[in-house]
Amino acid sequence: MNEITAPTGKVIVCDGNEAAAWGACLSRPDMVAVYPITPQSSLVEYLAQFIADGRMDADLMDVEGEHTVLSVLHGAVLAGARTYSATSAQGLAFMFEPYFRTPGLRLPMVVSLVTRDAVSPTCVWGGQQDAMTVKEVGWIHMYCETQQEILDTIPIAYKVAEHPDVMLPVNVNHDGNYLSYGVARVELPEQSVVDAFLGEKQVNWHACLDPERPMAVDPLTGGAGGVGPSMFVKYRKGLCSGMQTALQVIEDAHADWGKRTGRYWSPLIEEYRMEDAEVALVTIGSMTGAAKDAVDEARADGKKVGLVKIKTFRPFPAARIAQALSKVKAIGVVDRSVNFGWNCGPAFQEVLAALYAHQTARIPMMSFIGGLAGADITVEHFAQVVRRTFRLAGGEAAAGPVWLNEND
Amino acid sequence: MGAAFDSISFKASLCDGCGDCMTACSTAKQGASRISIVPGAKAGTFETAICRQCGDPKCVQVCPSGALDKDGGNGVVGWDASKCVDCLLCTAGCAYGGIAVDETVARVAKCDQCDGDPACVKVCPTGALEYRKAGTIFNQYGDKEDLFVPGLSGCQGCNSELIMRHAMRKIGRNSVLATPPGCIPGMGSVGYNGKTGTKVPVFHPLLTNTASMLAGIRRYYDRIGRKDIVVMALAGDGGTSDCGFHAVSGAAERGEKVLYVCVDNEGYMNTGMQRSGTTPYGSWTSTTPVGEHMKGKTQDAKNLPLIMTAHKCRYVATASTGYMEDLYEKLDRAVEASFEGFSYLHIYSPCPTGWRVPSSKVIEACRMSVDSNFNPLWEYTNSTGLRFTHSPDNAYPVAEYVKMIGKYRHLSQDQLAHIQAKVDEQVALLKLMAAESPPPLAAHRAPTGSSTPVGAEPTQSARREIARN
Repeated sequence: MNEITAPTGKVIVCDGNEAAAWGACLSRPDMVAVYPITPQSSLVEYLAQFIADGRMDADLMDVEGEHTVLSVLHGAVLAGARTYSATSAQGLAFMFEPYFRTPGLRLPMVVSLVTRDAVSPTCVWGGQQDAMTVKEVGWIHMYCETQQEILDTIPIAYKVAEHPDVMLPVNVNHDGNYLSYGVARVELPEQSVVDAFLGEKQVNWHACLDPERPMAVDPLTGGAGGVGPSMFVKYRKGLCSGMQTALQVIEDAHADWGKRTGRYWSPLIEEYRMEDAEVALVTIGSMTGAAKDAVDEARADGKKVGLVKIKTFRPFPAARIAQALSKVKAIGVVDRSVNFGWNCGPAFQEVLAALYAHQTARIPMMSFIGGLAGADITVEHFAQVVRRTFRLAGGEAAAGPVWLNEND
Repeated sequence: MGAAFDSISFKASLCDGCGDCMTACSTAKQGASRISIVPGAKAGTFETAICRQCGDPKCVQVCPSGALDKDGGNGVVGWDASKCVDCLLCTAGCAYGGIAVDETVARVAKCDQCDGDPACVKVCPTGALEYRKAGTIFNQYGDKEDLFVPGLSGCQGCNSELIMRHAMRKIGRNSVLATPPGCIPGMGSVGYNGKTGTKVPVFHPLLTNTASMLAGIRRYYDRIGRKDIVVMALAGDGGTSDCGFHAVSGAAERGEKVLYVCVDNEGYMNTGMQRSGTTPYGSWTSTTPVGEHMKGKTQDAKNLPLIMTAHKCRYVATASTGYMEDLYEKLDRAVEASFEGFSYLHIYSPCPTGWRVPSSKVIEACRMSVDSNFNPLWEYTNSTGLRFTHSPDNAYPVAEYVKMIGKYRHLSQDQLAHIQAKVDEQVALLKLMAAESPPPLAAHRAPTGSSTPVGAEPTQSARREIARN
């Protein structure tokens, strides 16, 4: 848990969307393209106001939809720009065609995903189904727990995205409704601190549209015979390698940010009271706060429980998670989305795979799904998760998923 | 490279024998007319007797005094009155009746093309006479660098390849080119497996986002003060009129400063000749086939350039390789306009493979599509409105056009009548728009801070806001 440090910058009170807008503003993108969608809309409005006020020196592109939002940013990045945008759920779905293309072109950019459950049934409230649905596309995905973490993670994300050994787009995710509209104390770093952290922007010459250096961007690649398939494989392997390299780059960037601001966020996973834990919870995003309270209460009752928060979901820090969970007797993974066809949450499946890959002992695990459609996952819900996980540790068979808000 | 020359062309089918050309010529030259309208082989038809400015002129060969000579600069066979001995041998030597005798002075009267502005052409009410400036294009651009590599794998006779090569030769290296999925990248412009087919920066947008990506590029170039680069697309009709239309419409609405060239071959020709939004009524395509229950496309084509005028674009025009001078002039204007706002050029492009037209007939099909008003040539700006760049009057019946194209082979009389009616309706609407358009402005001045080419506005800083037109 991060201590509140003596502020080095201005302190404001704002919601998560405004915190994200500040994070973007301080990162000095050249171009911002937007299309409003609940619960991201106010983020777009903050950006527009920042630009209107001259606080932010970026070109604002109010376009006709999310497909174009990402497409104009593709053009801008290929011309040498640093870019920012934000979206949610249906917007992300409409953005999918260029979204799919971004990591393949190795375009470094940062897009906030204000996570939301995806229709149908029609629902405009929080949930992580949108982000979890696109986790295999090749974007880096980071999830934030607090408004401050949102703000801080955006400059960190640029540092990661633009690293020459990474060159990948980053989604900085924060929970719709909970974080997007929840208000908290947030410290604004000095602009000079962020400027020094990010350094000079470089033109990404690996793919650039400039008459001074003509090149063909995205020629047809693959096909049978010749060098086609091997060339395609080379690109795919490069993307995989960029993803794996990002694990270290993300750690370094967080460490650097910590040195400059005094706020050391856990880059890949955060271990909370795991030293002697007999059972562990695994959480993502804003639910972690309530989960930590539940852990504290259980500890007060003498129950040895700890928590692992996943911050970086792609690339998946499998070895770190397996290591953190290696000594517990049972694990309860709480998701805010559904993995259809596996009858569990997506993080549950990922943790399961990580443990299989990095451990020989089989640790009992159970999937909990809560917080869909903006529902609250309360401390009491987490207390229930703790109780069930201890029963699992005691030999009770796993039965899941447990739908936490089923009777709310 | 040899020289090429401009020439006066005569289209017998449009001539009604009024003789206005002869009157205009004799007035301009204050003597006998150098052009004669004479009866044609069939009753009611006409031919012309006029100097063809032959490449190997017989008149020059027979002239005993050296009074006649072909000018290597403009190609006109000139007559030197001071050397002429008035033997009139040249009038006998010319097989075309191209040299008249001015009875009033008993000397020859020879067409000199009025120094590039022929009086006869200007007065011709039917468009039968036309001053073709293709020679100028050849002389100015013929030895300019081709910005696509040789050996693009287009089909034989591909008109789109012709458009690409001409357009880029005209526009030059200082450009960024988008070629979305379709025939243009399919024939290798973006390239395969790391090898490119284009010498300017080129990219392969998605089928759906060409205009959006261009907008992003241009905005950033404007931001960093690079105002001299033409940011442009050579896109097919499918990616423009169908799934890419939201991007085109949005970019036009926002006044994004890009040049969008739609190469309209009336279908998804790269993927097997399927229908698109611009496929005309009645066309056979592989998704609007001809069978017992279905006889080609049952809907009319979307008139994309007309739709773009409703977006109040900075510039909208239609063009055809059948009228290359017109195309070149429009490219100039379209490029210029693209530094001020959305510039849209719609070029009709018959597809020999998908339309079932012999390769050798492609340019003829281009001409006929224009001359039958199937694809009228016009241009539009948001300040001057619409004007035709080729007379829509005295058009051939559409039946004359469609009969040379295999995809219309099955058409019934009813279908043909429908197509003709739609063509007439479309021309009537365009004429209405042309009639209501204001006259051209005397001078156009770019708004402050606009993205004009480098050098034109040396003191302007990078422009941050797009002018709404």
